[in-house]
Amino acid sequence: MSKGNPERSDLVDEFEFFLGKQWSDGFPVVTPTEERVQWMLGGTRRDPGELVGNIPPAMEPATVRTIAIHALMAGCKPEYLPVVLGGMALMLREEFNLNGVQGTMHGVAPLMIVNGAYSRKIGLHGGNGCFGPGFRANATIGRAIRLILTNLGGGIPGVGSATVFSTPLRYTACLAENADRSPWPSLAETRGYKETDDVITCVMVESPRLCYDDVSQDPERLLIGIADGMAAMSSWNMHVRSDMVVAMGPEQATICSKAGMTHEDVHQKLREMAGRRVGDLKRGGNWRRERALKINVNPDDDEYFVPVIKDKQDLHLIVAGGWGPLTAVCHGWGGGSRAVHGLYSI
Amino acid sequence: MTEAVDEFEFFLNKQWSDGFPVVTPTEARLETMLKGTRCDPDEVIGSIPPAMEKATVRTVAIHALMAGCKPEYLPAVLGGINLMLREEFNMNGVQGTMHGVAPLMIVNGPYAKKIGIHGENGCFGPSFRANATIGRAIRLMMLNLGGGIAGIGSATIFSTPLRYTACITENTTQSPWETLAVSKGYLDTDNVITCAMVESPRLCFDDVSQEPDRLLNGIADSMVAMGSWNMHARSDMVVAMGPQHATICSKAGMSRADVHARLCKIAGRKVRDLKNGGNWRRERALGFPIKVNPDDDDFFIPAIKEADDLQLMVAGGWGPCTAVCHGWSGGSKAVHGKYEI
Amino acid sequence: MANDLGFIDPTAGGGRAMVALAPRPMDLAGKVVGLLDNTKEQGTLILETIGKVLQEKYGVAKVILRAKEHYSKPATDSLIDEMSKEVQVAIAAVGG
Repeated sequence: MSKGNPERSDLVDEFEFFLGKQWSDGFPVVTPTEERVQWMLGGTRRDPGELVGNIPPAMEPATVRTIAIHALMAGCKPEYLPVVLGGMALMLREEFNLNGVQGTMHGVAPLMIVNGAYSRKIGLHGGNGCFGPGFRANATIGRAIRLILTNLGGGIPGVGSATVFSTPLRYTACLAENADRSPWPSLAETRGYKETDDVITCVMVESPRLCYDDVSQDPERLLIGIADGMAAMSSWNMHVRSDMVVAMGPEQATICSKAGMTHEDVHQKLREMAGRRVGDLKRGGNWRRERALKINVNPDDDEYFVPVIKDKQDLHLIVAGGWGPLTAVCHGWGGGSRAVHGLYSI
Repeated sequence: MTEAVDEFEFFLNKQWSDGFPVVTPTEARLETMLKGTRCDPDEVIGSIPPAMEKATVRTVAIHALMAGCKPEYLPAVLGGINLMLREEFNMNGVQGTMHGVAPLMIVNGPYAKKIGIHGENGCFGPSFRANATIGRAIRLMMLNLGGGIAGIGSATIFSTPLRYTACITENTTQSPWETLAVSKGYLDTDNVITCAMVESPRLCFDDVSQEPDRLLNGIADSMVAMGSWNMHARSDMVVAMGPQHATICSKAGMSRADVHARLCKIAGRKVRDLKNGGNWRRERALGFPIKVNPDDDDFFIPAIKEADDLQLMVAGGWGPCTAVCHGWSGGSKAVHGKYEI
Repeated sequence: MANDLGFIDPTAGGGRAMVALAPRPMDLAGKVVGLLDNTKEQGTLILETIGKVLQEKYGVAKVILRAKEHYSKPATDSLIDEMSKEVQVAIAAVGG
C-alpha cells in the first residue's frame, strides 16, 4: 500500500476536496498540481493560452490549459490530450447544439468514435468490452469531456441540466472501431477520409441497447433483428430527425460481408427496414400529429411506414466489440443535434 | 514527473483498473473508512468468482475507499456484495458472459436517504457521489478480486457503461406509490437492497399520453425487442418510471401492483413476430417456465415470464420519461435483503 | 492558480459577471407584454391564453408573440434586442 502524501493530506484531503465539488462526477480525480499539468501539456504542441471555445450554458472559457487540467483530473495520459482537444472543438460546432443537450430532460451523451492510426497508438479500444470499464484511454478521454461539461459548462443535473434519468454513458463515452476484425472500411473512410487520417465523430446518443442474435446465419434475418432494436414507440428516432449509432459486433458484420454485403449495403438495408407504421406509433409513446407533419409523414395513413432514419447521414454504422453474436444500438436525441466529424491534429 | 512513483499512475496501470483514478489507499484513510461499519475487519464476506479472491470487511473497505466512498457508504457496499454472492444471483456467470449486463443496486430505506443515494434528476448518471462510488466499489471488487476483466475473465462483447457503476434509489418524494422494497413485504423503515442483472437503461419518452392505457403501451413496447434476452429466456427487468408517468397512472386510480400486472400482461410479442429475427429458437421457447406453444404463430410470449422478475420502481426527476433495463439470459435471479448499518 | 492548498483548484466561475435583473413593474396596465414561444408543442397555446388573460384582467395594452428558432437553442441576440425595444415585460414559455 502506498503511503500517499501525508504533508498534503494534513492540510486538506486532496481527494475529499475534489469529491466535494458540485461539478464532480462522483469519482476521485488525479490531483492537479502545476507539475502534473506541465506533464499533461507535454501531450500537445499548442499554446496553453489558446481558446478552444466557451462551454454552454455557463459559457466558461475552455483553453488548451484548462482542457489539459480536466484531462489530467480525469486520469488521461498526456498522449490522450490531442483527442480531448479535438473532441471538444468538434462538440462546440453550432450544429452539434451542445447547449441544448446540456439542458435537456432526456439522457444522451456525446459519444466519441475515434478512427485512425493515432487512436490505435494511444490504445483506444474497440474490441471486447469497449462500452465498459477497463480501458484507460476510453474511460478517461470521455470523462475529461464530461468534467468540462459539468465544471465549465454547468451541465449538472438539477442545476444546468433538467435530465430526468441521465444515462451511465455520461460518465464517459469514447471508443474506437474494431479495425482488426472489421470486414469493412471505417466510419471515417465511408465519409471520405483516408485510412491514415485521425478523425473523430461525435454523436448525441443514449446508452447502448444490446441486440443479441446467435441464431441468424444470413444477413436478411440478422438485419431484421437489428432493425427491430432501432425502432421503439418512445424513441426520439421515431418522431424527429435524429442520429443513431449502430455498432455491429465483428461476428455479425462478417455474416453480412461473407454474403457479399458492403458497409453501404448494410447501411441502406437498415435504413429501409427499421421503422414502424403510423398505426402502430399512434398506440403509445411520442407520436404527435404535428411531429409527424414536420417529418413529412402522412398522419392519417395508418399504413404509412415511418423510417427510423430520416436522413442517410444520421445513421452511424460502425464495427466494434469483441467476437460474439451481438450488436449495440444507441438511439438519439429529439432536440436537434447533428453529428459532427473532423480531423484532429496530434 | 516519474510515472513509477506517482501514486495515480501506479493504480491506473493496474490490470484491474476501471480506467479512472482511485483514492490512494493509506492506512490512515482505511482506518477512517472502517469506522463506517461495526463489523470485524477480518470477517469474511465471501469469495468473488471467477478468480475467487476473498472479500473480507477490510478488503471491501479498501475497494470502497479507492472508489471514492465516504465511510458511511460502507454498509451499502458490504450489503450489496453480500447479496450478490447469493447462489441464485449467479455472479460467476455474469462475470464471464458475452453479454453486457451489470448488477444494478436499488437501495431503499432511510439509510439510503441519509447517506445521499440519489433517485431523482439524473440518477442513472454522474454527479452523485454515493451512487457513483458505491457502484464503483462493487465493480472494482469484481475486477480485482473476481478477475472479471474484459478479454480475460470476461468474454463480454460490448460490456455496458452501467459497468462503471450501477447504484440508485427511488424518488420517494415524488412517487405516488410504496417503494419496491415495501412491495416485497419489507417495512418502510427497513434498509433494503435489491440487485438485478441488467443492461443500461433504454429511455422511453412520452410527453403525449395523459392516461395510463396509452402510456403503458409505449412503455411495454420498450420492454420488448427481438434481440432482448427478456424475450427468449426467463430474465429480470427493471422498469424505473419517472414520477410524472407514475402519477398519470396513480391519478387514474392505478396502484403500483396494477401497473405491474398490466405491464406483465401487455409487454410481449407473438411467436410470428419473434421468428423473423433475433434470438428466437424453438428449444429456447420450450425451456420457459411458462407453457408456450412455439408452433402457434399467434401465441403471445410475454417479456416477463414470472411476475417477480419485473422490478417496478419510481425514479428520476419530473419529466415525461421512463427507463427500462433489460436483463440477462444466463439464469440470474434478482436478490433482495436487508443490510446492517 | 497556485494557492496554499498545494494544488490547483480548477473550479470555473472566477471571472463570471453578475447579471442584474431588470426592475419589475408594479402593475401591467398600459404595458406591452412580449411572449416568447420556445417552439415545443402547445407552447403557443399557453402563451396566447396568458396574453388574453393579461389583457382582459390586468389592462395590458398590447401583446406580441415571438418564437425562438428551436426550443433547444437560446434565443438569438437579434430577437432579444428586437423584443427588448418593443416590450416592457416578457414571458417565456416551455411547451411540451
